[in-house]
Amino acid sequence: MTHHHIYDSIETIEHGFRSVGYLTSRHIATTLYLAYHLGKPLLVEGPAGVGKTELAKKAAEGLGLMLIRLQCYEGLDESKALYEWKYGKQLLYTQILKDKLNDLTGGKSLEESIEALHRYDDIFFTEHFLEPRPLLAALQQEKGCVLLIDEVDKSDDEFEAFLLEVLSDFQVSIPEIGTIRARTRPLVFLTSNNTRDLSDALKRRCLHLYIPLPDPKLEREIVMIQVPGISEALTRQLVAFVQKIRELDIKKVPSISETIDWARVLILLNRKSLSPEIVRDTLHAILKFEADIDVVRERLPEMTRQILNGREGLSHG
Amino acid sequence: MDDVLTTFVNVLRDHGVRISTSETIDAAETIALLGYDDRETLRDALAAALAKSLPEKQLFHECFDRFFSFTAFSRKETSREAAGRRPDGNVALSPLSLMLLSGDQAGLMASLAAAGEMSNLNGIALFTQKSMFQRRILEAMGLEALDGDLAQLQAEGSDSSGRLAAALAGAREYCAEEVRRFVDSQHDLHAKARMEALMERRLLHLKLSDMEARDFNRMDTIIRKMVKRINDVHSRRKKRWKRGFLDLKKTLRKNITFDEVPFHLRWKRRKIERPDVIVLCDISRSMQKVVRFFLLFLYSLNRTVVRIRSFAFCSNLAEVSPLFDRYGVEEAVARLQTGHDLDIWMGRTDYGQVFRDFAANYLHLLSDRTTVIILGDGRNNFGGPEAGILKTMGERSKRIVWLNPELPTFWGTGDSAMKQYLPFCSLARECNTLFQLERAIDSLLK
Repeated sequence: MTHHHIYDSIETIEHGFRSVGYLTSRHIATTLYLAYHLGKPLLVEGPAGVGKTELAKKAAEGLGLMLIRLQCYEGLDESKALYEWKYGKQLLYTQILKDKLNDLTGGKSLEESIEALHRYDDIFFTEHFLEPRPLLAALQQEKGCVLLIDEVDKSDDEFEAFLLEVLSDFQVSIPEIGTIRARTRPLVFLTSNNTRDLSDALKRRCLHLYIPLPDPKLEREIVMIQVPGISEALTRQLVAFVQKIRELDIKKVPSISETIDWARVLILLNRKSLSPEIVRDTLHAILKFEADIDVVRERLPEMTRQILNGREGLSHG
Repeated sequence: MDDVLTTFVNVLRDHGVRISTSETIDAAETIALLGYDDRETLRDALAAALAKSLPEKQLFHECFDRFFSFTAFSRKETSREAAGRRPDGNVALSPLSLMLLSGDQAGLMASLAAAGEMSNLNGIALFTQKSMFQRRILEAMGLEALDGDLAQLQAEGSDSSGRLAAALAGAREYCAEEVRRFVDSQHDLHAKARMEALMERRLLHLKLSDMEARDFNRMDTIIRKMVKRINDVHSRRKKRWKRGFLDLKKTLRKNITFDEVPFHLRWKRRKIERPDVIVLCDISRSMQKVVRFFLLFLYSLNRTVVRIRSFAFCSNLAEVSPLFDRYGVEEAVARLQTGHDLDIWMGRTDYGQVFRDFAANYLHLLSDRTTVIILGDGRNNFGGPEAGILKTMGERSKRIVWLNPELPTFWGTGDSAMKQYLPFCSLARECNTLFQLERAIDSLLK
């Protein structure tokens, strides 16, 4: 499948993503369509674990392009994100070539030796000594690529400002070499967990997509697609259960990835249906805090009864 | 660019969604790409181009639903009784009557929209204008002709025309009600947010000392917004390590094994410290409102951003930090204002005594990382100013910042001892509006 087909319309995007195992809701597909056709970076926000990173991965898979990923963290700077001179290699070469350098300059006056060196000027600042980091690598891809800038909210303000430059022109300048332009514009995804507000300038340059926690129907479909071999009845029960937990007042509500983990655990244990005992034993798959587990445990009998007696349970026995 | 989009963008801006020109252009391109045909696609696409955070998305959806609302004349239960009735033939009814009687929702909606545009409903600014707009729109839709029809039917006096007249009278009510709702929703859309924004701007520059109690709620909202911004900007700064210049000593030491050929580089780092703040607040009557907002602001800041110890004074000085630990910010501020349970004598303000108290009990708190903020008008009732103690405090701390609600031109006039204190303050500025307050606190953290 070439990308000309996938991004022809919003429906083809929905299809294309479904075929690589990622279910999009309509607004996600619409936004992807826009990002692709307007050539704008897409800033993706939403609770942890709703599949923000996965979206970029699947976009690359669907387009048949390479995914280049830049993980952001505090203190990330240009040398880690854009390029770095291979300092060690440069140094090593000058040490190894010491004798050669001696030959060049041997027996000459200071002026003459500097003149001689000038002829070899930039020899240590060529692409051989350039270590491309994700951003530069993304610009260098002949066929284009999908560039994922993950958790951009963790980076510093300075880095954000620097990103602006790259994202608006898709070019960077390296003083020793010159300006490098993107051979083909990459499709850019930025993700944020909202640990802080991003600058307005960055937001202005991006389209914005918020992925919420899924509704029961979508979540059931996701589980069915991600966990092959799971029965529909079990899927119904466990999605209903997770959705109920999300209504409780707890520290970290389980997101899709936790639902999938839980489904896998239940499959491994060869369970066909939920029961209070099995839920109690496997709760740690969806809840990450001891306090949260306690909250749920307290209500466990009541919650499982509701689900097992409710429509979700009955319709499929 | 089309008018619909520009108007919609303006509505969003009035509701507090920040939209720049470049984003408006993105939205226009979006519409060029996808068109107005499908409402949901349009909504999702514009949301991606215009609203850039979760709260903004929510505002966007609210506005979108109201702005692109086609719900008028859709209340079936009311329109059904009128629908289906045809005139007998000898009466020629006006278009509006016909549409109402036949239940032509699309026609009515279009007529309503056209009438709204004609009477400039977008410009509605005050709720008192609602009835005027209602009348104008009804007129533009052809109410006069409908009333003519009604009179004619009633004059005719036959059974069928009587029934028709009753139905039409009902439909007239229905129509007026729908127009009223439409004007209501448009007023909410266009005028309400504009009004709020206006109030906020006014409060931002209103003197804190002139603030009325009824404005407090709104003020607190504004402060919360400001605090969120400051917390966002500064909360990571304390952790940020800056890669600065090459650290020559460390680099050489590290590379001794390589015959001092510097394979491993070491950099000088700079750490931004969390500021220690000591606040001295004058809580005499003239200062109370300013102090309230200042403390509300300061204590709302993240504990990771700033560490605070606060003192209040009037005729003498006492520490009030425990109040804040025990009761929470709002309650503590309220308690400070009444002066109950505090070891403070609420007589004449005596700065001299206050500084002597501080020197006697708390001088050891000062270090080269402490910022001392004094919030007061410096009016000492002609007592001894004890500026020497302030000098010592300045030498022992990082800096002294004096925030004075009075205009600088009044400093030093009458019983103000500001002129004596000024030489020992690293910074003194006027601080009597929320705007000045925000700037003062922002500069503290830098």
